[in-house]
Amino acid sequence: MVGLSVLAMERFFALLTLLAGALAIALIAARLLPAAPYLLELVRPVRLWLAWLIAAVSMAGSLYFSESANFVPCKLCWFQRIAMYPLAVLLLIAAARRDDGIRRYAIPLASIGAAISAYHYLIEWRPSLGSGTCDITAPCTVPWFRQFGFISLPFMALSGFVAIVALLTLGPSHKES
Amino acid sequence: MRPSPTRKKPLWLWAGIVGIVALALGIAVWSTSGSDTTVSQGTTATDNSSSSAAETQPVTVEGTPLPAPPDAGEDLAIGMTVPTLRGFRFDGSAIDIVPDGRAKMVVFLAHWCPHCNREIPVLQGWAEAGGVPPDLDIVGVSTAVSSQRENFPPSQWLIASEWSWPLLADSVNSDAAIAYGIGGFPSFVIVGADGTVKARSSGELPVADLDALVKQAVAG
Repeated sequence: MVGLSVLAMERFFALLTLLAGALAIALIAARLLPAAPYLLELVRPVRLWLAWLIAAVSMAGSLYFSESANFVPCKLCWFQRIAMYPLAVLLLIAAARRDDGIRRYAIPLASIGAAISAYHYLIEWRPSLGSGTCDITAPCTVPWFRQFGFISLPFMALSGFVAIVALLTLGPSHKES
Repeated sequence: MRPSPTRKKPLWLWAGIVGIVALALGIAVWSTSGSDTTVSQGTTATDNSSSSAAETQPVTVEGTPLPAPPDAGEDLAIGMTVPTLRGFRFDGSAIDIVPDGRAKMVVFLAHWCPHCNREIPVLQGWAEAGGVPPDLDIVGVSTAVSSQRENFPPSQWLIASEWSWPLLADSVNSDAAIAYGIGGFPSFVIVGADGTVKARSSGELPVADLDALVKQAVAG
């Protein structure tokens, strides 16, 4: 990441966010449309690895923005980190062991993270729903950036959490189980 | 749960993922090349009698700094004499916030704070409606300046917001805000004519609360 501007990294992670969001939407749509099982069968064998990859990239991006770009995390950012960082470790172990039982632990964690991200994203657009004051160093209502006009840090986290939930709820195929 | 049986790894899928990530990185670099996000905050003068135009200015603090406001309970700053702030406006002209025998409302604002953005029109409306007592001075402090955040530079933001009172530009390290123990934005510090703190409040205030707040200062 050395040599790349902060703006380029914002754009890079925003593009990955769009990919994660598109994956989540495609998975949800494929499950609702009986005529589209192909995508599900394509992704199902690698669902744990993909979920881990999303969690790991999310964690790397989070650390880049706080430690390299010096974007101080706010309180809600920390809560989302609490949900995302363990997923990066747990999903790696689960993927390596092909342990589908991780779903029981990871889906609640990711769902809580998604709820916090959604609230954080909401108060970025509607600060009046928050506390009514800006924290002196790290206000939750003030986005550090909005790539493409709408992708901020909590939106990135939300896309990651939703994609992880969408992948983990796929479950194993009949052959696997 | 038992681990699932071994399956053949779809390497082409991983190759595709790596390719997509590399493509995203390439697009990000290409689409942002030539963009200059570095915005100068201006020079910071060391001479305390004059300064050049800048978004942050040196501030000299004289006296005992106020403690940070508590999360709950009694504010220990009440009754303390406010520290004197000697600094500059954005244009480099000198401005001091000193206990001078007149009641004051010192308003700390951050250009990136949406609550400050919402409060300034409330203050303007309050003033236009005659809500500001004649023996109360209002003075602003632009603080927590960051070129990475929205509405930079604050000098332009305050012009656009139609801020109409004197304003001190805080230092890069927000010395004025620290001296007043500010914990959030917008912050209001009500200083009585005797130079002591009568009340402090942070967050958006409706007109009714502004009225109640300044009554304490004028009564003091």
